[in-house]
Amino acid sequence: MLKMHNLSKLYRTNDIETIALNCINIEIDTGEFVAIMGPSGCGKSTLLNIIGMLDTASEGQYFFNDEDISNHSESQLSQIRKRNIGFIFQSFNLIDELNVSENIELALLYHDMAKKERKDRVAQIMDKVGIAHRAKHMPSQLSGGQQQRVAVARAVVGNQKLILADEPTGNLDSAHGQEVMEMLQGLNSEGTTIVMVTHSPTHSDYARRTINLFDGHVVTENLRATG
Amino acid sequence: MLNNYILIAWRQLFKNKLYTTINMLGLVTGLTVYLFGTLLVDYEENHDAFYKNFERIFTVGTVFSPTANIGVSQDPSIYSGFTPFIKAEVEEIESIARTIHRKFLLTVGDDNYYQDIRFADPALLTIFDLDYIEGNSDALKEPEGVLLSENTARKLFGSTSVIGELITLDHKTTLHVTAVFKNLPRNTHFNSALIGGLEFEVVAPLTALNKAADWDLAGNFNNLSSGNYTYILLPAAKTLSWLQTQMDNIWKKHLNEDHKEFVTGLKVLPLAKANTFIWSMIGLPIMESIKLLAIMVLVIAIVNYTNLATAQSLSRAREVGLRKTMGADKKQLLAQFLIEGLVIAFISMFIAMAILEIIIPLFNNLTEKSLQINYLHTLPWLLATTTIVGLVAGAYPAYMVTRVKPIEALRDAGASGVKGSLFRSVMLGLQFSISIFILATVLIVYFQNKKVQDAGDIYPRSQIITLQRLDVEEIQNKLDSLKNELKKIPGVSHVSYSSDLPYRQGNSSFTAGPVLGNKDLSFLLKQLSVDEDFLSTYEIPLIAGRALSRDYSADIFLKDMLAINVVLNQLAIEKLGYASANEALGKTFYDFPNSREPRAYTIKGVTPTQNFVGFHNANKPMVFYLRPSFFDYASVRVSHQDLSETLVLIEETWDRVITDYPIQTSFLDKVFNDMFRIFDTMMKSLGLFAAVALILSLIGLFGLAAFMAQSRTKEIGIRKVMGANMLQIISLLIIQFSKPVMWALLIALPLAYFASEQYLNFFSDRITMQAVIIAMAGLISILFAWLIVGIHAIRIATANPIKALRYE
Repeated sequence: MLKMHNLSKLYRTNDIETIALNCINIEIDTGEFVAIMGPSGCGKSTLLNIIGMLDTASEGQYFFNDEDISNHSESQLSQIRKRNIGFIFQSFNLIDELNVSENIELALLYHDMAKKERKDRVAQIMDKVGIAHRAKHMPSQLSGGQQQRVAVARAVVGNQKLILADEPTGNLDSAHGQEVMEMLQGLNSEGTTIVMVTHSPTHSDYARRTINLFDGHVVTENLRATG
Repeated sequence: MLNNYILIAWRQLFKNKLYTTINMLGLVTGLTVYLFGTLLVDYEENHDAFYKNFERIFTVGTVFSPTANIGVSQDPSIYSGFTPFIKAEVEEIESIARTIHRKFLLTVGDDNYYQDIRFADPALLTIFDLDYIEGNSDALKEPEGVLLSENTARKLFGSTSVIGELITLDHKTTLHVTAVFKNLPRNTHFNSALIGGLEFEVVAPLTALNKAADWDLAGNFNNLSSGNYTYILLPAAKTLSWLQTQMDNIWKKHLNEDHKEFVTGLKVLPLAKANTFIWSMIGLPIMESIKLLAIMVLVIAIVNYTNLATAQSLSRAREVGLRKTMGADKKQLLAQFLIEGLVIAFISMFIAMAILEIIIPLFNNLTEKSLQINYLHTLPWLLATTTIVGLVAGAYPAYMVTRVKPIEALRDAGASGVKGSLFRSVMLGLQFSISIFILATVLIVYFQNKKVQDAGDIYPRSQIITLQRLDVEEIQNKLDSLKNELKKIPGVSHVSYSSDLPYRQGNSSFTAGPVLGNKDLSFLLKQLSVDEDFLSTYEIPLIAGRALSRDYSADIFLKDMLAINVVLNQLAIEKLGYASANEALGKTFYDFPNSREPRAYTIKGVTPTQNFVGFHNANKPMVFYLRPSFFDYASVRVSHQDLSETLVLIEETWDRVITDYPIQTSFLDKVFNDMFRIFDTMMKSLGLFAAVALILSLIGLFGLAAFMAQSRTKEIGIRKVMGANMLQIISLLIIQFSKPVMWALLIALPLAYFASEQYLNFFSDRITMQAVIIAMAGLISILFAWLIVGIHAIRIATANPIKALRYE
């Protein structure tokens, strides 16, 4: 599904150059569940953002579905992104002024889709993640776990093939964290590719492969036979 | 505690530089314009206060019937014939003095000057206390005396000790100097800038005018001229309304019944009104407009401050929460935010005053006014204004921020962002309503003025040099040879004489009707005495009949003739009841004189209806007749290329033919512009306010959009991650700001329509695209608003969304 070849990311300020990612070579196939781990500041989130095309690499190549997107324009990237990738954030990033169903619908708003179909899809996905009874609630009226379920729903409502999750359980207690992880696993078993940044070894166990990052390098890659 | 507030306020200024700059810029501009407008109106409305009798001096003016069709509704002067009656019948009046302006050729030794002389009853010097260098207030009692201003004395004689020196008027009447007075200050109505040529430099008794020009000392009831004030000094016990009653009686008793249809009353005015009266006279409320606009601009500036401060104060919720947890109560926090408003208001006022100190001298130089800031006098007003501005501007943000619950404020700085947004939208709407309103009115005034200017192009005004003041016997006798000589100059194509010129606001007319002795069908007919070349000089075509010519004896209108040939315009033909110009040819109409036999006028030619007087005036029925010895002006039409070169040749020719009197020339363009200046002034002052108001509103919008865009960064980041493209983000922000602007349109456009209606009503030939122009003003405002918001939107839309999401 995606492939990175000698990919680097530098941050430059006036006189300091920080290397966030250094010669990364990764390949992720369709249907995989990959966890990216490593200490704070090792470049996990940067990598995830580059994968999600929210950020661009300084050097190297990035193939998405065999297409080199290293030199794509912002609007080309946004086209690919909205058709293929869903995001889940640690801090949920729901819009405070919109209610649950509107927040989920937001992900479809920028696709060409009839209103009726949008509503159906949103209703369907709310059922699936078990948040339908909260459809008209505002984010501030929900618990963290519920908010993250909304975020998951929003990430997959457009039939995205790749879910990028940046510490999805970081703001949740263990019970709610467990819930979200099981939801991700369920999605993966239905064929969705998942890339997740996490600190928690417990949660990385849900992944079939773990990529360990340290100071911008890939240190190890562990493969697990079973989930 | 207070120190801590002021300190915080001070630091706050430097913390957010964009916000502070926008806020200060807005308030400083608003205050400067407001102060300047107020000072200017105050100055214009407080002329003449330095005269000892200021509060007891009144002028009497004339009110015209709306059907009189003379372009003005009032005149500041009255017929000179009233004064002897007033003097005889209203005994309580202390003094009354007429003044009559007349231009004369002054001769001192070998030098000749044209000078406007103010002839007056001797009581003028009792009413106004002049500062005498030589002589005293008896100076006008000498029938052939003359007073000179210090300036004029130096110009004519090189000194101020000139008592007894001789001055000759038009080579025949000799006056001797009886007094020299100090130059009048600029702020007297005698120096009114808008009525040109009304100097108070040379003052002579009316007896001298009687001698020099045979002026009837009893006065008359047929001549009014705006500069010819009549002044009345009342005893302290009598009021304006008492005098008004007396004047009503005088009007009733002494004006003949026919005349009352035209002059519907006399109007007493305090001297304080004399300077600004020209505006009431022509019916344009410019002083009121300036006052209103100044306040509007200040309101916009205050709204700017309030809006930005409210928006910005939300980002200070954390500080407020902290203060609350430390035990600050509502009152203390309220005080803190109000003090911040006051600090900004005071700094802005200080800067505004500094700017005024620079602007006012420049303005004075440019306009020959003497505005000044009298600090002692204005200090209470300045302090009050600043305090009110500071408090009003700070009140809402203070209220908003102190309402926040401390724990919410600490936990979530952005949560309350929505609450103030309705208020901000309303304020933004208010601001834009005012700007759109002012902009629309300015556009209306601009286009109407342009129409007035274009309508003035019916005559070739840029090609005509006028020679003035030909109404002297010596000149009248030489008009034929002058014309012959002038025609020889290369470049001169036409030379013509007439009793009046286009664009001058003269109203010489008589009552005419189709039936002898029957006034039922009569109407006022504007009369113009012209020579046989006038129509061709001014390119006035004939639609029927022939032009007047010296070849027909009945064409030449000599004194005491009772049947003459004339040319009428189309409107006059219609008033007489003829269906077509051809039908009217050969027909006769009559006048209705009081003291002689009626005269029969036979129609020989018809011209189209043209607006001879121009500007705001309606078309008038007009008669042209050929009456030698009634010519005041010559019009010399010159091929366009070498106007000034030709002017030199014209002057040489004049000097050769007419030796005793220097030439007086003026381009017809200048005659036009002297009048057009009134409309131009209106537009320029309005335009200034409109520009300031619109810029302030846009600055406010800029600040608000910056803030809103910033506070919606997270939302926009999410939307982008969800796949929104740049266009969608930009339109999202633009739509948010468009709503208040749309509301503003709904409010401002009808108001602007109503206001422009008031201005346009003043013109008989008004623009037809009024609604379109007003809509255009709305469109311009919206486009500007979109542009400003668009700039921010683009910035936000192109930013990397991840920054917004991670570092919120």
